[in-house]
Amino acid sequence: MEFESLAGRALDTSRSRGASYADVRFESVRTERIEVRNGIVATLADASSTGFGIRALVDGAWGFAASADTSDAGVDATAARAVEIARASAAIGRQRIGAAPAQPYVDTFHTPLQRDPADVPLSERFALLLDAERLLHGAPEIAVGRAWLDLWRADKYFFSTIGSRIAQRICQSGAGLQAMAIGNDDVQVRTYPGDVGLYQSGGWEIVEQARLLEGAPRIASEAAQLLRAPQCPSGTLDVILGGSQMSLQIHESCGHPAELDRVMGWEANFSGTSFLETSQLGKLQYGSDLVTIVVDNGLDRGMATCGYDDEGTKSVRSDIVRNGVLAGYEMSNDTARGIGLESNACVRAQGWEWMPMIRMCNLNLLPGTVPFENLFDDVRDGVYMESNRSWSIDDRRLNFQFGCEMGWEIKNGKRGKLLKNPTYAGMTPVFWNACDAIADERSWFAWGTPNCGKGEPMQTGRTTQAAAPARFRGVSVGVGYSE
Amino acid sequence: MSDARRAVREEIATRLLELSAADQTEVLISTSDAALTRFTHEMSNQNVATDDIGISVRAIIAGRTGVAQTNRFDEPSMRDVVARAARMASLAPEDPLQGDLPTGGATQAPANAFDAATAKAGADLRARMCDSIFRSAEEAGYWSAGFAATSTGGVTVANASGALASFDGTDAAVNVKMTASDSTGFAEAYSTAVGAIDAAAAGSVAVGKARASAAPDAVEPGEWTVILDPAAFGELFVYLTDHFSAQSFEEGSSFCSDGLDRSYFSDNVTVVDDFAHPLAPGMPFDYEGQPTLRLPLIENGVARNVVTDSYYANKLQRPNTGHALPAPNAYGPQPSNVVVAGGDKSAQQLVAETPRGLLVSRLWYVRTVDRKRAIVTGMTRDGTFLIEDGVVARGVRNMRFNVGILDLLQHCEFSDTQVRTGSYHYSLVVPTVKISGFAFTSVTEF
Repeated sequence: MEFESLAGRALDTSRSRGASYADVRFESVRTERIEVRNGIVATLADASSTGFGIRALVDGAWGFAASADTSDAGVDATAARAVEIARASAAIGRQRIGAAPAQPYVDTFHTPLQRDPADVPLSERFALLLDAERLLHGAPEIAVGRAWLDLWRADKYFFSTIGSRIAQRICQSGAGLQAMAIGNDDVQVRTYPGDVGLYQSGGWEIVEQARLLEGAPRIASEAAQLLRAPQCPSGTLDVILGGSQMSLQIHESCGHPAELDRVMGWEANFSGTSFLETSQLGKLQYGSDLVTIVVDNGLDRGMATCGYDDEGTKSVRSDIVRNGVLAGYEMSNDTARGIGLESNACVRAQGWEWMPMIRMCNLNLLPGTVPFENLFDDVRDGVYMESNRSWSIDDRRLNFQFGCEMGWEIKNGKRGKLLKNPTYAGMTPVFWNACDAIADERSWFAWGTPNCGKGEPMQTGRTTQAAAPARFRGVSVGVGYSE
Repeated sequence: MSDARRAVREEIATRLLELSAADQTEVLISTSDAALTRFTHEMSNQNVATDDIGISVRAIIAGRTGVAQTNRFDEPSMRDVVARAARMASLAPEDPLQGDLPTGGATQAPANAFDAATAKAGADLRARMCDSIFRSAEEAGYWSAGFAATSTGGVTVANASGALASFDGTDAAVNVKMTASDSTGFAEAYSTAVGAIDAAAAGSVAVGKARASAAPDAVEPGEWTVILDPAAFGELFVYLTDHFSAQSFEEGSSFCSDGLDRSYFSDNVTVVDDFAHPLAPGMPFDYEGQPTLRLPLIENGVARNVVTDSYYANKLQRPNTGHALPAPNAYGPQPSNVVVAGGDKSAQQLVAETPRGLLVSRLWYVRTVDRKRAIVTGMTRDGTFLIEDGVVARGVRNMRFNVGILDLLQHCEFSDTQVRTGSYHYSLVVPTVKISGFAFTSVTEF
């Protein structure tokens, strides 16, 4: 396995310096981003980065050091630094949290690819984006058109002092479009396919699945129409959320509060804590009995799909909410043991430079039984909203306000006129308990989020929330625009 | 240490320029050694250090641009990154507005941008800083969460047109949230010199805020007069900084796209971009090697300037103000050293002159609701207080706001003391501000 010799050196040095456990993760990452903006290639970048991070455990306290210097001397110095840092942690810690993972694994994992992006000529990648972006300018109100793609590949090699040797190649791809229409004192934006584009694990097939050329004329027209659309009304109304907005709703109001490190106060000063306290496990009626949310890091095309997490734990599927009741958390080894459970492999690092930590992974709301079109049937007065534009939630993940790019009036079961600036707000458990219908699996889709921030130093995580559109009764709508 | 790293960067830059046959080549070499000790419940949960180098090559061939990046600087890797940049450029469409890269110029780094003691700081020093905060928490019977951080970073930009600029700086910070049974308090401190940071004092301030906001009750949402501590005002004001980008200005999404030299704010609002401000000394050139201008953005309420890079200077036929981000970027030039001018009253006086209002320590999850009008929503956190008859009376539960920043800055007063504040995505120098008509729309449960 690549880096095996250097890994042995890192682990030996860590042990000889006093670590009771250590792991080292070598990563070689290649990323490509192309972005076309108003006919110009604004970004054309091909980046590579190689390095390693060592996690050392001394007297129940962790230290982490990372370096791009893969010489023998660089590995030695970095291992010594990780141990020195762990020792400093131990010197001041009033309690001990660190423990070595229980089980070693020797294995490999590769993201399945239908078409390796390396086989797609660069000229073809350009042409797709230039053609799609050009189609965004069909309406004169469109001041800014954007088309982009991201191709990411990470080769990860994990070794630990308990004998784990895990090689993984993780490939993720994404593409999207955005049209910005500017009118008198108004800016309206439409993004496609979801509010960040389409991001999944896989190869060029993900870019093809985004169908940029088909979506461009539609969103350009919608952005222009939004300038002339009436303001979304304010009041208490029924709401139907489209799939990508459901993804955001799950992400912010379930995914983050169910991170066990956050529950334990490990994110308190930055990302905040959580209302999902461990005393509520198995008791809290988080949502209606239609609501079942699971971690599934084996999900086909999930952004977080992998064989093992970044502390060497094998991917599993586990419940977070089962039939509306809080049933579990996203966990690491340390935090899971703190409440007498086992990790469900939710630990990730942004790259070799960062210490692994609990991250939301693939967090899926299981589909319901109602065909999407029937969600509207018994809504007398409501709004259907699609594609997130604004998102904010308090630091215990209770009070939220989200805005979407567009909405449609619903009157007596029928979708009506287009509405601009739709927003809705609520308290998380009240909102999820107001869920009375979830669309069936025909509209269930794995929406990826490529830019989830957490931790200090801040790390960007890549998550998926698979979801179908859903209906919520009696929601506060139009907040922020009630003048 | 910085001299050695600078020499390595400049040697790499020279070699990369030699290797490139593009019409124009720019190389950007960055070095960083950043360490952060994060803590919670009086133990460290993330104690990290990372040492890295970044190499970026921008090749421009007949108006076509490609960028390639690596973090390896052996000869084959340098040849590879130059070749990749050229290949990308050869396939890119031509951009007729792509002009010549800047030729650079003399720059002078602020004297206090680099601090040797900070560059040498180790895990033990950060641990002692954290430990002093732990002691404050233990004495109060609270628990603490936060971090102590030290870092050193350097940048060298060079291009084949003759620009060559290098900068090395240091930075240090503490951030602490104290949690009591039903309240929290916050404090932060930033400096380029770790010796100027009093971690114990930050711990005490956070304890004081948590204590003073104990047993919070709810007040009614609605329009309030608020006094925002610098950390809160910075979190709000940062959502206006992108409006001063030439890109936003030109595209029509900035509030000042309607025109510069027009009054948009009350006449006590003055904002500059100043890399040499003593509280936040920064890099005196941008990521194209162009000397950065110290630039008024708002003067007495009047929008005066937007910031440019070489591309937008050419496109808009305006001076290049030296505010380029690293290539490639789709965000355009950005102001990165924003300073909001202070007023003539102390923060205490602003409180004392408030019959009824709210004092806000910190904001959270601020997001744009309406871009052009700069309407944002967000939450208060970590110490929100009711002011009655000029006195901080008691803590109140946190609330959600929906406010238009442009409107708020029509009727505001600033304190006479500025503070550096920040987060992972910004660093600003701002005073305390008093604002009337601040709209809260709901209250949360804590």
